[in-house]
Amino acid sequence: MIETTVTILLLLMLGAVTIGIVRVRGLFAAVVLLGVYSFLMATLFVVLDAVDVAMTEAAVGAGVSTVFFLGALSLTDTVEAPGKRRQIMPLFVAVVTAGALLWGLSDLPEFGSPDQPIHRQGADYLVRSMPETGIANVVSAVLASYRGFDTLGETTVVFTAGMGILALLRRRRGEGKS
Amino acid sequence: MMDLARDILAGLFLSAGAFFLIAGAIGMNRMPDLFTRMHAASVGDTLGVSLMLIGMVFLAGFTLVTLKLVFLLAFLLFMGPVASHALAAAALQAGVKPMLAADGTKKSAAKRRKSAAKGRKP
Amino acid sequence: MIAAALLAVLVAMALVVVRALRGPTTFDRLLAANSIGNGAILVLALFGFLTGRPEFLDLGLTYALLNYVGIFAVLKFFRHGSLGAEAEADGT
Repeated sequence: MIETTVTILLLLMLGAVTIGIVRVRGLFAAVVLLGVYSFLMATLFVVLDAVDVAMTEAAVGAGVSTVFFLGALSLTDTVEAPGKRRQIMPLFVAVVTAGALLWGLSDLPEFGSPDQPIHRQGADYLVRSMPETGIANVVSAVLASYRGFDTLGETTVVFTAGMGILALLRRRRGEGKS
Repeated sequence: MMDLARDILAGLFLSAGAFFLIAGAIGMNRMPDLFTRMHAASVGDTLGVSLMLIGMVFLAGFTLVTLKLVFLLAFLLFMGPVASHALAAAALQAGVKPMLAADGTKKSAAKRRKSAAKGRKP
Repeated sequence: MIAAALLAVLVAMALVVVRALRGPTTFDRLLAANSIGNGAILVLALFGFLTGRPEFLDLGLTYALLNYVGIFAVLKFFRHGSLGAEAEADGT
């Protein structure tokens, strides 16, 4: 009961902050509001029992991306240029994407039901992983051994993104100063 | 008996903390300019968060959780005033003028915004 | 008791969100962001006690650190970059 109330209150605040981010013109204020947003989002994740995601959201959303946004702002202007006319196309894309996601949501298996695929396949990792891989931690065994290529791909994506950001921020700053 | 006393003590601390948090939040909405708002927010937050954490220490008893709560409390007690000071210093440097008793509310608000726009560093 | 405290913290956070959205200067928003970070820590801790799993307080410590890292990064930026104060001045 109380959990539902907390979730609804947090979601309402999230909605208000999102509208604020869209409406505000100063990009600086938008960065601050984005920090607020990710703190609220991380709290919501904790309430929904996804502690690891909450940790990631707090570290990435409130910590790293704030710093990256500030770095980008120091290279460009801090005021958003006013739009020339109302654009219909982005709204259309957003509405279609949201509709597709909601439609897909209705096809998910019931929450916590024991015969969904995730519980029927690979539930014996706890038993299998130690003799097969020799890694004591089951989560590490799954991430680094059974899904090794998946993890490698993820790491490559994150690494590439980091390299890109570093290259962008550093090159422009060197040119600006000299 | 011990448990009851502990719960009552924790409840007292929690409700006192809740009172100060809400008072600070109301102050943030009702105060006329940035520095008075900062006053309401920093004092209300520091007191409210500290009282609530102390109440949770009573709930937790002597465990590792208590140690974490004490760390959190110490960190917030140190960093809250530092952050408030840094915020006030940055605001003054950027040209936000405190509202004085002599100016009317409307006029000073307009002046404050103008000086905030003008006073930014090139 | 804990549930009531949780609701009180959430109400306080909602009031602060109002200030973060209205705030005429960026500093008001920053102040509100700091306050919301503190509120998030409290919600986290109280929710842990409510569900009987207060071990996730490590997350609260991380939040506190990140909150202040964010605040100081923004404040440091004020000494070097431009503010965007002109956009704040003509109303948002």
